[in-house]
Amino acid sequence: MLKYINEIKQHRNVLDQLVRQQITLRYRRTFFGYLWTLFNPLLMMSVTAVVFSEIFKMDLKTYAVFLFSGVIAFNLFGTIVTQCGQSLVGNEQLIKKIYIPKLFFPLAVSITLLIDSLLMFVSLFFIIIIIGGNISIALIGLFPAYVLLYLFAFGIGLITSVVSVYFRDLLHIITILMQALVFLSPVYFKPDSLGGKVKWLIEINPLTQFIELFRSPIFSATFPAIGVYLLAAFYAALSLSIGIWFFNKHEQRVTFRM
Amino acid sequence: MKKVIVDNVSLQFRMYHDGASSMKEFFANIVRKNKKKHYTDFLALQGVSFSVNDGERLGIIGRNGAGKSTLLRTISRIYEPTVGRVEVHGRVAPLLDIGAGFHPEFTGRENIYFNGAFLGYSKEQLREIEKEVIAFAELEDFIDSPVKYYSTGMYMRLAFSLATTVHPDVLILDELFVGGDASFVQRGKERMNKMIDRASVMILVSHDPSLLRSVCDRYIWLDHGKLIADGDVSVLDAYIAS
Repeated sequence: MLKYINEIKQHRNVLDQLVRQQITLRYRRTFFGYLWTLFNPLLMMSVTAVVFSEIFKMDLKTYAVFLFSGVIAFNLFGTIVTQCGQSLVGNEQLIKKIYIPKLFFPLAVSITLLIDSLLMFVSLFFIIIIIGGNISIALIGLFPAYVLLYLFAFGIGLITSVVSVYFRDLLHIITILMQALVFLSPVYFKPDSLGGKVKWLIEINPLTQFIELFRSPIFSATFPAIGVYLLAAFYAALSLSIGIWFFNKHEQRVTFRM
Repeated sequence: MKKVIVDNVSLQFRMYHDGASSMKEFFANIVRKNKKKHYTDFLALQGVSFSVNDGERLGIIGRNGAGKSTLLRTISRIYEPTVGRVEVHGRVAPLLDIGAGFHPEFTGRENIYFNGAFLGYSKEQLREIEKEVIAFAELEDFIDSPVKYYSTGMYMRLAFSLATTVHPDVLILDELFVGGDASFVQRGKERMNKMIDRASVMILVSHDPSLLRSVCDRYIWLDHGKLIADGDVSVLDAYIAS
């Protein structure tokens, strides 16, 4: 852990450049540029909101706010885990030719995605307010929510980044798993609306806690229960420590397997 | 003062015969009884030890596959030695591959900042030297085009100029970088000589005896990953005679 903190301090400029690269290159030479980051989730959310509000017999506007709070959390998690998976494999050319601390690749990708998510949050939040969302003091609770969810996702991202070097199939598997996971997390529905045999899946799913951290302040304008914070903090710490341990164990051999 | 210490370094490579392995094979191998190894291990470097002092210009020689490039990469920290240790003091500028650490979509100017970060420059430093780097590389007209449109020579000049404008403590060069048109080679050599005067270390891999003779004052001969000779120009003569 200390080793990594030192690396980051020492090569801060490198990390900075990698993040910059991610952000500037993605939309270079596209007409709408950064707006593409917003169009995609906006379109998805609009369609989903229309369909599911009908199914759940909920008011469209209310449901849209509910959905937004779940999607923003799940998206951050899903994109970090997926794109960290490609962070080492995709930078093979750099890794083989020049020394850069390997941690920086998943780190730069995840920081970029965090920035994306924050920007998406701010822009969509305006829309949410217009259609009747709540502004309350509870929104402060989103700061720890973002921190905890980021750390949780990053820990898993560290593992996927290394494993996908050895098993390229993992990238496809993650994509499929994410599609399944979105329905096993309370993104589109309330956690208690899924009863019966699969109820336990929702209960043990760590994302249930993280989504609650986002949903309470945005949708219900209340702070989440302290128990939710504690559980989320526990998951985040667990994920991050396993992630760092795993990454540290394998990073030196990764170069030889690319 | 010793700038580079290579102490009993061995490096084991694993050669995979199958390209990328897959989950399917991983599970198939667990079930399968007579496991067929789909890789072979070999030692690219075996117990290599030497150190380089301030001001030395080291040439590494040996046949193809002797481990020269692997050794350069190990000194540049790209490979971690399996056994032994490598110690390098000061700022290292490795020029191993054309376009290493350049992003093809970025312009030359952006790449000065991108690649410069990997070379250990700070942003302020880069802002200071930007003009000088461009001037030395003679790329004033092309500096704002993406480097994917650059010719090999332009790539090389930019990389060399960037790596050497603030003189590095240790310059690691593959012979590719000493190519280029005659006038640039001349200026490159002048700059290299200047750097040596400022008590920097240079390590060069090359197959070209005349180039080696003109810039190096010490030679290391590698064969099958082992260091078989270390000394002055007589080592080069012995290598050529062999």
